[in-house]
Amino acid sequence: MTRFAWLQARTQTLTSLALLAGLGVLAAITGVHLSHLYTSLVAHCQSGCDLATGRYLSHAGFLSQCFDLLARVGPALIGIFWGAPLVARELEAGTHRLAWTQTVTRRRWVVTKLGLVGAASVVVAGLLALTVTWWSRGIDKVNTNQYALFDRRGIVIAGYAAFAFAVGAFIGTVIRRTVPAMATTLAVYAFTLVATTAWVRPHLLSPATSTVSLLHADQFDFASSNGSALTIEAQASGPPNSWTLSNRLVNSAGHTTTAAERAAFVHQNCPTIGIPASAPSAHANAGPLPGNTAAEACRTQASKEFHLVVRYLPADRYWTLQWLELGIFVSLALVAAVGCYWWVTRRTS
Amino acid sequence: MTSALEAVSLGKRYGHHWALRACTLSIPAGRVVGLVGPNGAGKTTLLHLAVGLLEPSAGTIEVLGDRPGTGPATLARSGFLAQDSPGYARLTVGQHLQMGAWLNPRWDGGFATRRVADLGLDLRQRAGTLSGGQRAQLALTLAIAKRPELLVLDEPVASLDPLARREFLQTLMEVVAAHGVGVILSSHLVADLERVCDYLVLLVAGRVALAGDVEELLASHHRLVGPRRDPAAIPSDQVLIESSHTEKQTTLLVRTDGPILDPAWTATPVTVEDLVLAYMRRARDGEAPAASGLAVVR
Repeated sequence: MTRFAWLQARTQTLTSLALLAGLGVLAAITGVHLSHLYTSLVAHCQSGCDLATGRYLSHAGFLSQCFDLLARVGPALIGIFWGAPLVARELEAGTHRLAWTQTVTRRRWVVTKLGLVGAASVVVAGLLALTVTWWSRGIDKVNTNQYALFDRRGIVIAGYAAFAFAVGAFIGTVIRRTVPAMATTLAVYAFTLVATTAWVRPHLLSPATSTVSLLHADQFDFASSNGSALTIEAQASGPPNSWTLSNRLVNSAGHTTTAAERAAFVHQNCPTIGIPASAPSAHANAGPLPGNTAAEACRTQASKEFHLVVRYLPADRYWTLQWLELGIFVSLALVAAVGCYWWVTRRTS
Repeated sequence: MTSALEAVSLGKRYGHHWALRACTLSIPAGRVVGLVGPNGAGKTTLLHLAVGLLEPSAGTIEVLGDRPGTGPATLARSGFLAQDSPGYARLTVGQHLQMGAWLNPRWDGGFATRRVADLGLDLRQRAGTLSGGQRAQLALTLAIAKRPELLVLDEPVASLDPLARREFLQTLMEVVAAHGVGVILSSHLVADLERVCDYLVLLVAGRVALAGDVEELLASHHRLVGPRRDPAAIPSDQVLIESSHTEKQTTLLVRTDGPILDPAWTATPVTVEDLVLAYMRRARDGEAPAASGLAVVR
């Protein structure tokens, strides 16, 4: 059965391996050039590093976007073109009646096909991930945050591909028609990825916390929204290359404050600062204004009462998170594969 | 000797619709069985149950003494040709034979290669570009080279032109003669089956309306023509299947194992087609439930 499954999957597998080889050659040529640029422009820069970095990034702009796109759509394509038709095409063409009446049980048929094409999916996606991650390593070092490209780098891509493939196979088995199964697979895959990014990934690891004085915050303003009373707004981020999950403004007693509580503080302690209520930096350019000194005094006072608590994932948790998310998607893939197996052996005729 | 197919109260339901119900059949091994019936009578359902593509909703079915589709051993014993002879459009004829060799331990490669050569098929041609007749022949070759004890063919000639039809059935009869393999083939056209079958099963609306050896069926049924009279008055050893009347004349189709003694009747033999049509009408008009229909045959 393995030989026959390979006969059926041979063309698509070899085609994508050839495409990957082409991509590899392109990546090798441009990648070597890029790493020379990195060495000459960025690695040893003493001053004017921002300018050097900008020049370095401008050399890679278009290709870098192409590679990011490939890393994003690769697993989806595997799900659509390898997963969804795996069983659906047989059911649609009636060839399952030919296959299932050979001297091979349905059980073995579906396990072999899922195993072989599933393995090919993981290998192809893994090679794609390796190429993209290797090629982008210089750019990723220069860019501020590794977590920003979390789902387009590293081993998670192989997990996404395994999931996309298995869920496609399952959907194809249930829907029994290739094209609707492809569309549904894309929708389910995209939704799962978006949901993971929004609701799952931030909660996978317990974050570190740090306390940041308002005076060292990235942003610290007196602001009012929709004509409500003036309040204090501030934002800070975690250490470099970490993933900032949340910011809380905490008072000296250690309680998280609401906007209304902070407005009360402003009203009580700095009644003189008022409208226009924009950031002090905006006033600085316009010269000394009457409210400015009052605002400065109030900022000092506020920074004594409030501070920021930042929750973040440290840079060194990156690969832990990658493995964890890989594990989740491989588990989801296994669930979908078992569903496909069950449906083929029990529900389909 | 085990039967080719043994069904007891076999039923298959799709949702609320029974495609096949209360089907009790015993088909002897080594016969060429014609499964006839109008479209939607449950022929395909019965054949799919016989090769293990479907599971019964009620009753039991055994093929060559085993429950079908339970493992490689039972799969190896029957060869199936599905309706429209599906093949992998993008694989070549040669790759189909390769598939047969890989997936069937009892594969007869010599036979397959010879047959494909006899048919004039190019091994490098893709199955998707074959004509309907060629595709059916390729599918038949695959089913036979598997060396099954029973060949199950679902409407194998339905989509073929008359010439291809004749060639296909000829191949089939050659194989039956050479290997003594049993065959069950379905068709909604009696004419296709008349020439090749020695056993007949008629399905109407999911029930068995008639089943038996063709020669016995023909010998025990008579068309009687005589002066007009009440059909209820026939002798007790005769079973009335169908009657029609003109002003002066009565025509009956009766089943009996005894001779026709009444000199008022002119008895003529019936054809398979006559029988099938008569029993189909009888089943359709609800004059005889399946069980008593079967009793009549026995």
